[in-house]
Amino acid sequence: MALLELPAWTTLAPALLLALTALVLFIIDSISPDAQNSGLLAGTTAAGSLASLGVAVWYLLAGVGTPTVDGGRGIIDVLGDQFVVDQLALFFMIIVAVVTALVAVASYDYMEDHTYQAEYYSLVLLAATGMSFMAAANSLVTIFIALELASLPSYALVSILKDNRGSVEGGLKYFLIGALSSAIFVYGISLVYGATGHLQLENIAAVIEAGEADPYGGLLGLGILMLIGGFAFKTASVPFHFWAPEAYEGAPAPISAFLSSASKAAGFVIAFRVFTEAFPVAETASAIGVDWTLAFIILAIVTMTLGNFAAATQNNVKRMLAYSSIGHAGYALIGLAGISAGGGELVMGAAMMHLFVYGFMNTGAFLFVALAEYWGVGRTFEDYNGLGRRAPVACFALAIFMFSLAGIPPLGGFWSKYFLFTGALEAGLIVVAAALVINSALSLYYYSRLVKAVWIEEPVTERDGLSQPVGLYAAIVVAAVMTLALLPLFGPVADTAVDAATAMLA
Amino acid sequence: MCMRFKLPNVTEMNDWIAIGALALVGVLIPLGMMAVSYLLRPSVPETSKRATYESGEIPTGDTRVRFNIQYYMVALLFLIFDIETVLLFPWAVVYLDAVESDAVSLLEILGPMVLFVTILLVGLAWAWRKGAVQWAQTPRQVETEHNRP
Repeated sequence: MALLELPAWTTLAPALLLALTALVLFIIDSISPDAQNSGLLAGTTAAGSLASLGVAVWYLLAGVGTPTVDGGRGIIDVLGDQFVVDQLALFFMIIVAVVTALVAVASYDYMEDHTYQAEYYSLVLLAATGMSFMAAANSLVTIFIALELASLPSYALVSILKDNRGSVEGGLKYFLIGALSSAIFVYGISLVYGATGHLQLENIAAVIEAGEADPYGGLLGLGILMLIGGFAFKTASVPFHFWAPEAYEGAPAPISAFLSSASKAAGFVIAFRVFTEAFPVAETASAIGVDWTLAFIILAIVTMTLGNFAAATQNNVKRMLAYSSIGHAGYALIGLAGISAGGGELVMGAAMMHLFVYGFMNTGAFLFVALAEYWGVGRTFEDYNGLGRRAPVACFALAIFMFSLAGIPPLGGFWSKYFLFTGALEAGLIVVAAALVINSALSLYYYSRLVKAVWIEEPVTERDGLSQPVGLYAAIVVAAVMTLALLPLFGPVADTAVDAATAMLA
Repeated sequence: MCMRFKLPNVTEMNDWIAIGALALVGVLIPLGMMAVSYLLRPSVPETSKRATYESGEIPTGDTRVRFNIQYYMVALLFLIFDIETVLLFPWAVVYLDAVESDAVSLLEILGPMVLFVTILLVGLAWAWRKGAVQWAQTPRQVETEHNRP
């Protein structure tokens, strides 16, 4: 392949393609501003994200970003190390592109009657561009800009149903907490810069390893704590999780799927990159006096416990999924909690696998809620009673999503949780592993409650036949098929994730 | 270079004591002035003292003037050109040097800026087509816009 002759910036093609598609949407909308050609717009969005997906998969298979010692083409630095394309970046670019494609297809039906179609799809693509760039950003400045590029369209997307109180309220809360956490994050960046004199991640690590940051240990520690605040917001973890239930509940359901899967994954990729590249565990601990993994151990336990217990008490399906999404952020945080001076590849790889599987099963679950909202059946568990008889295909898919989210073997969600569990045990985090098991057991209660409502309970009211919107059904079925297809495919995904984690921690 | 944090010298005054003293004086002076003037000044209540501009113009209308919402669109469009200028300036400064040097080709210096301006132009054209620069609207025009599906 003639890949090596391409200039380095082309390795960012997965992100650039998303941006290009957004521009194409603007041009389409400029040509015919009053037309309601939602099929064209949704199709372009899906095509653009599939192109991004294809390029990212191709790069990964062709060995772009794989270290040369492993037979790859080497990790590629772009724009003077401001971006880096490695396996980690490509892995998360794939997640973002997949979720964007699913959301675009599902939105075709969900946003059918909405006035601002082109705005909607271009905002989705611009947010996806930001998330894709977050995967590759390698300096605190590019990380912050990519984070803002992902966040600002998200605020607008949450409140895009302008006449809906919940949507506007959710958007406002999301925006206010987002503004606060952005301010904290950027202050953290300035403190880290003050302590180390660098913004580029490897340079920060070099300063810390040389011990030059030791006199400013307190400053550096405070900076790291504030950076954690920024990540916690983006991943909807404690202590910046307050926005999540409101925003997910108020937002159009495809946007909830988008935010809780792609945006969360993007938040995790910058957390993985910053903490493995910029703050080597042992040296940073000697500089700031405390191991930063401790913060993630606490956050992981608190986040998963809070998310799952809150989810168990919900009556509203979308809100239950929102809290379960917080719980899953807690599971993925184990990936950072388990990193130690000598190891942690397995547990970080497991967190990446979990986010990958989660990209399908959680997106699918929220898209089922989108379908229910499209039918107008209501929001609570009781309203979902007996849907299985009317729409067996979608409800079968829902059962797959729910059992996979709960971690029932042999579904994909089980394997990623199993690897997280063994990884946590290997890292010596007995308490975290125990919390994972207890919370998974608890989560089975509320996930199966939804399945029971849909399949076993008698419907409260008689309803007529339900329509079968093509886009929503297609997206749900694809998500379900992929959740199942991950059973045979789990080996390659796990290998890629662990390879990427090994390369990061090497 | 920062050994003084590890070995505090008791005979030498810490820099922060001076800063703290300065801050204390800075707070005390205005508070003291207000306190002294409160004690010394005569109290002559008078209605004209409550006017917004004492012995000045009599204000008309409310302070909360309503602006047309369309100024908001103008402000957003202004941002397009504003940001464009911010990036164009440093680029224009180095442009001639870059063209004369052999290190970068013309495409490398011109290409990114042309791309950047093109992206902004697409945005401007889109906003234009969407009616962001249409100003005066009669109530009937507003009505028809509401009726968009």
